[in-house]
Amino acid sequence: MKKMLALLAVAGLLLFTACGDGGESTTSNPSTNNPAVAAAPTPAPAAANPAATVTPITGPIDVISRESGSGTRDAFVEILGILEDGVDRTYIEAVIQTGTGAVITAVAGNLYAIGYISLGSVRDDVRAMPINGVPATAENVQNGSYPLFRTFYLATPRNLEPLAQDFLDFIVSAEGQEIAVSRGFVAIGDNLPAFSGGGLTGTLEISGSTSMVDLMERIAAAYMELHADTRIEIHSTGSGAGITDAREGRVAFGMASRALRPAELEYVDSVTMAHDGLAVIVHNDNPIASLTTEQVRDIFMGELPRWSDTH
Amino acid sequence: MKMRKMSKYGMEFSMKIVFAACACVSIIAISLIAIFLFTGGLPAIFEIGIYEFFLGQRWAPGDRYPAVPAFGVLPMIVGSIYITLGALVIGVPIGLFTAIYLAYMCPHRIYVFVKPVVNLLAGIPSVVYGFFGMVVLVPMIRPFAREITGGGTGESIMAASILLGIMILPVVIGISESAIRAVPANYLEGALALGASKTRSVFCVIVPAAKSGIMAAVVLGVGRAVGETMAVNMVAGNQARMPTHLLRGVRSLTANIVMEMPYAYGLHRDALTATGVVLLLFILIINMLFVFLVRKGR
Repeated sequence: MKKMLALLAVAGLLLFTACGDGGESTTSNPSTNNPAVAAAPTPAPAAANPAATVTPITGPIDVISRESGSGTRDAFVEILGILEDGVDRTYIEAVIQTGTGAVITAVAGNLYAIGYISLGSVRDDVRAMPINGVPATAENVQNGSYPLFRTFYLATPRNLEPLAQDFLDFIVSAEGQEIAVSRGFVAIGDNLPAFSGGGLTGTLEISGSTSMVDLMERIAAAYMELHADTRIEIHSTGSGAGITDAREGRVAFGMASRALRPAELEYVDSVTMAHDGLAVIVHNDNPIASLTTEQVRDIFMGELPRWSDTH
Repeated sequence: MKMRKMSKYGMEFSMKIVFAACACVSIIAISLIAIFLFTGGLPAIFEIGIYEFFLGQRWAPGDRYPAVPAFGVLPMIVGSIYITLGALVIGVPIGLFTAIYLAYMCPHRIYVFVKPVVNLLAGIPSVVYGFFGMVVLVPMIRPFAREITGGGTGESIMAASILLGIMILPVVIGISESAIRAVPANYLEGALALGASKTRSVFCVIVPAAKSGIMAAVVLGVGRAVGETMAVNMVAGNQARMPTHLLRGVRSLTANIVMEMPYAYGLHRDALTATGVVLLLFILIINMLFVFLVRKGR
């Protein structure tokens, strides 16, 4: 009897194992079994091989996007027209990474990947793809030739406290904007007035877009250098949360890397802080020289699934 | 002298209250969590629609006027179930055989080495597991994903399952080992006396006798796998659609919450709280199963 039980238990375990495997593989979508993939070269060694820079890239594109609600994603889908009639048509197979750093890591480690981040965050381990032949640089954003850019906004409560107002004046002054430019962002205009305020002390809290934190920290550091007794704390929470925080009075003002929506503007004002290019990033060994805005849109909507379709 | 005696009884009584209060902390904590989740989540479920929420296959919180956002959580429910099953397929046989080895076959010299290593596995932070998965497992799976499914980064059900399979090992090994050790020695002696080999005795007599403890180990492993967040988030790809293939991405309930919560507000935030309600229900069922199995075993 015991033996029978044991046999049953082992058989059950095996059956369960088989079921688990079967359950997962039978859900396989036939449309993803593209026979053309057999023609693609074995991918893994190519990534490490420097010779890959001269080999034309083929095979499926790995689309990397950001999570819903991210200001970078909101701006990206709006600029490129991936947002159609209020529907975000980002490719459903796109891998979702949380945060700029995660997107860079994912793209830097995958020859076939394409992602997007703030231009000011581009580092050496990924390559910013020129769009319509125009390299992604702050100068090209400023002169209007690079099409992908967004504006950084500050969501300010109606009754701004004096210190917050003073810091705000500093941000939009020539000094503040100079810091933005030095970080790879684009100033809000030319011939801005010099900062003339100051003399206030206290503590300020600011929260919002992860893309804006680095810039805000540097401007805050410069401001605190001028005002030794002032402390500014910056929280990286995301655009939506930053606006909500400002609206509910938890922070002096919020940072938003997308335009404020009408519903939000009922409670807070919007001040332009700087402009930021959006860089479409690929692996350093990716040989594609340039993509058009249409190609980028199609890639991120899943309508251009293979690298071979881009040259 | 009298004073000291008084204070001794007073002490006894007041410490009893302190201990009772400590015991209440857990109860209060779980009640507060349940109240927070249900008051935040249930209205959202009703607003979205029970059917649309639990059986909706589209999760599109970013859609806005003139479209309406969709909050269907079914892809994440199915996703969590898949990666948990995958983790069991990998973790349970390895864990069970390790437990049998540790309890009956392993020389003492090896035992004192293996046992601490297994315990160490339990102490590794999940983000470290996730990082390991990201830089080792995912690139290993990538060529297969591209060859077999025609794309994909390697961030997949497979990657998440392997990682979770490893992560549940300490739980499965620890509890099944003590269940196996709890089987009276005369079971083994009886089987050996009847002429069975040691392996046969262990597998045909000891393991069946310990089966409720082993099942409890599996159930606790399930609990660990369902609730794991960071490691899964880092290797699963996180696509909010019904799982399509073992080698393609998936989003778990936990990853759905942790990824979108920072940016969420309004109904989106409440929908994520409601996702937490689903998760809590999962864990409740798993724990009730555990209690049932342990009671049955006694």
